[in-house]
Amino acid sequence: MLLETRQLNKQFGGMYALKDIDFEIAEGEIHGLVGENGAGKSTLIKILTGVYSLDGGEIFWNGERVELHNPRQSRRIGINVIHQDRNLVPAFNGIENIYLGLEYEKKAGFAVDWAKMKKRVEEVVAKLGVEIDLESPAAELTPPQRTLLEIVRAMMTDCRLLILDEPTAALTDREAELLFETIARLQAGGTAILYVTHRMDEVFRLTNRITVFKNGRKVNTVQTADVDKDRIISMMTDNWTSERIDSSGGFGRTMLSVKNIKSRDGIVKDASLEVHAGEILGIFGLGGSGRTELLECIYGYRPKAEGSIVLDGKQIERSSPENSIKNGMVLICEDRRGMALVGSLSVKQNTVLSTIDSYASFGIVNEAREKEDTLKKISSLNIKTEGPDQTVLQLSGGNQQKVVFAKALLSEPKVLLCDEPTQAVDVMTRFEIHKLLRKKAEEGNAVVFVSSDLKEVLEVADNIQIIANGCTRELLGNNGLTAEQVLACCYSD
Amino acid sequence: MIKKNKLSDLFRAYGTIFAGIIIVISFSILRPDAFFTVGNLINITRQISLLVVIALGATLVMCVDEFDLSVGALASLGGVIAAKMAVAGFPIILCFAAPVVICFGIGLANGWIVTRFKVLSFITTLAMSTILGGFTFWFTGGATVFQNIPREFTFAGSKSMLGIPILSIIMLLLTVVFWFVMRHTAFGRKLYAIGGNEAASRVAGINVKKYKNLAFAICAALAALTGVMMASRLGSAHPTGGDGLFLQAYAAAFLGRTVFKEGVPNIWGTFAGAAILGILANGLTILQVPTFMQDLLTGCIIILAVIVQKIGRGDIK
Repeated sequence: MLLETRQLNKQFGGMYALKDIDFEIAEGEIHGLVGENGAGKSTLIKILTGVYSLDGGEIFWNGERVELHNPRQSRRIGINVIHQDRNLVPAFNGIENIYLGLEYEKKAGFAVDWAKMKKRVEEVVAKLGVEIDLESPAAELTPPQRTLLEIVRAMMTDCRLLILDEPTAALTDREAELLFETIARLQAGGTAILYVTHRMDEVFRLTNRITVFKNGRKVNTVQTADVDKDRIISMMTDNWTSERIDSSGGFGRTMLSVKNIKSRDGIVKDASLEVHAGEILGIFGLGGSGRTELLECIYGYRPKAEGSIVLDGKQIERSSPENSIKNGMVLICEDRRGMALVGSLSVKQNTVLSTIDSYASFGIVNEAREKEDTLKKISSLNIKTEGPDQTVLQLSGGNQQKVVFAKALLSEPKVLLCDEPTQAVDVMTRFEIHKLLRKKAEEGNAVVFVSSDLKEVLEVADNIQIIANGCTRELLGNNGLTAEQVLACCYSD
Repeated sequence: MIKKNKLSDLFRAYGTIFAGIIIVISFSILRPDAFFTVGNLINITRQISLLVVIALGATLVMCVDEFDLSVGALASLGGVIAAKMAVAGFPIILCFAAPVVICFGIGLANGWIVTRFKVLSFITTLAMSTILGGFTFWFTGGATVFQNIPREFTFAGSKSMLGIPILSIIMLLLTVVFWFVMRHTAFGRKLYAIGGNEAASRVAGINVKKYKNLAFAICAALAALTGVMMASRLGSAHPTGGDGLFLQAYAAAFLGRTVFKEGVPNIWGTFAGAAILGILANGLTILQVPTFMQDLLTGCIIILAVIVQKIGRGDIK
């Protein structure tokens, strides 16, 4: 075996991201790695490329035990990775990008020998049999050209294992074909390829074997020829069935109606949805399906190109966060530190951030009332803090998230857009947030709930809207729905 | 042992203030007759009044995490407009107000370019500074405006009320007003929120562009007022007279950030920063230290203050 891992363990904050992983890949093999969001695929990649250190277990390379403490060590033995977010310097041309992190060729001991470097790159390009523009800056290249550039960079050193992480996410079908040809050529040259993707058809087309991860554990490794898509999907899920009793018919009027919206940047292509008073609508899609972007677009944070948004019967003409809050819609962001909290400010100032004007008369803030309302929220949401004046970043993740909710609830919203509201919070807080959302729905509000944890969506939502590739698809009633059924919708083309 | 720790913590948190006190004590010991006298202290307040006012504006722009490099040029322009108007015989109050209003507009333009076209404020205001410099030179023909300036124009800059120079009174009033605005109004809170996290502020429904524009506009207005105060004090206006205040203003504002543990731009911090710079200049002049040594010392003190604060905050091990 080229690479073998034994009993790999990795924990984050007491939770296993990977547990007892035995994994192997042979020379010249294309090995598919699949699993739901958060199954541990990325963690494994980061361990193999020396980004994360191990908490337990061993890695063997050509039968010898190796320790991978940093990316350079991994590269030296011949492991390279190509990420979804490409690591190219936009202003550098092909040769400059390829030589990032490599020793430059030198003339007379110090002057960079561009001619020699170019020759070496061209040799590798020729060996790969690809066509690539080495003179233009990376910013001007097409997405597949950039991917090829990274592959060339990986092949400059003796690359024995190439890890491709969702390589076709940004490619059109024709562009993907080009990539597949290159992969086939690499394989013929004896390079092993670990192919990580959500796209089932690619896995079945390219790979020799498939390994399935679920919740940080390896479910199985199978020969691709022995299985079919349904078998793999059923291995990825717990086949968990929702227990919620049907609540259809119990909903009130339409609180939010979104029709055919498209974001200006084209990430949201064509999305429509409806949420009613009393309803929690789950939105589920795979990584990169545009879930977060859809919520941001509805909220008015991400510019919208087309489509209509009707909030509680009122057409929203100019959508902006300001307008949304005024009309009773709030967004709980996925990126808590980046977009939901002002880390340098106190709990109190974060809590009243959206509603500060309502505390001011003639511009002067009534601090007593502000404090009183914050204290009320601290106690009703059970926020653990030294007091309203504590800096918000000193709180634990779960309590920070409660402050985000406190801020949202102060504006008394009718529609709550929640993007991964329980991400990186403890189990207790997660439970409290679920209860809170249900309570808000029962009070006659509408909740849109996005989570990459399918099990959670099945636990919480009344209905589930599927989104894929920026477009909304099936709307599933969450009544005895199984994870397998939901995933089958996501993976269908 | 515990007590010692507390003292060192205190020193780390308020090192800048301690440094200020040490500077005052040193000068008082070295020249008790000339430095630590009521007359000289009042004199210092007048000397720093220009610096404080222009630095207040710079602080506002720093609060929204931007920079305005055009404050010096704005001050020069403000002073020249005021002096020219005074010579032309406009009412004094109008001579004082018009430059402030005009520069408020220029500040809005700065803000608009930065927020609308997402141009770095560094570049925008650097270019604006050059434009204003050119304009002021053309406007004055490169000469100092000093002939036929009416005596009333210089009252604000030279007279005192109850023994306190009017310039010092203006400075103190503005400091208190801006402290109140930044600390107790929705406007000030929003500026701090934007500076703390622009994306989160936008998500929270704050009109980030509007408040950034206002910060630039108020900063420009204060810079113009500084120029007017300078012209009134000198009884003349030089086309580059305010330029030298630009670096000093940011020196004061950066020193000000180090005054409190949080390390954010703040009004009293800026005031203290300007005061330290002013006291240093005053004391060194009394000690007859050459100007180049003053610059040398001032620069070193700013770097030291920032380093000490970074260490105090635990940013550096």
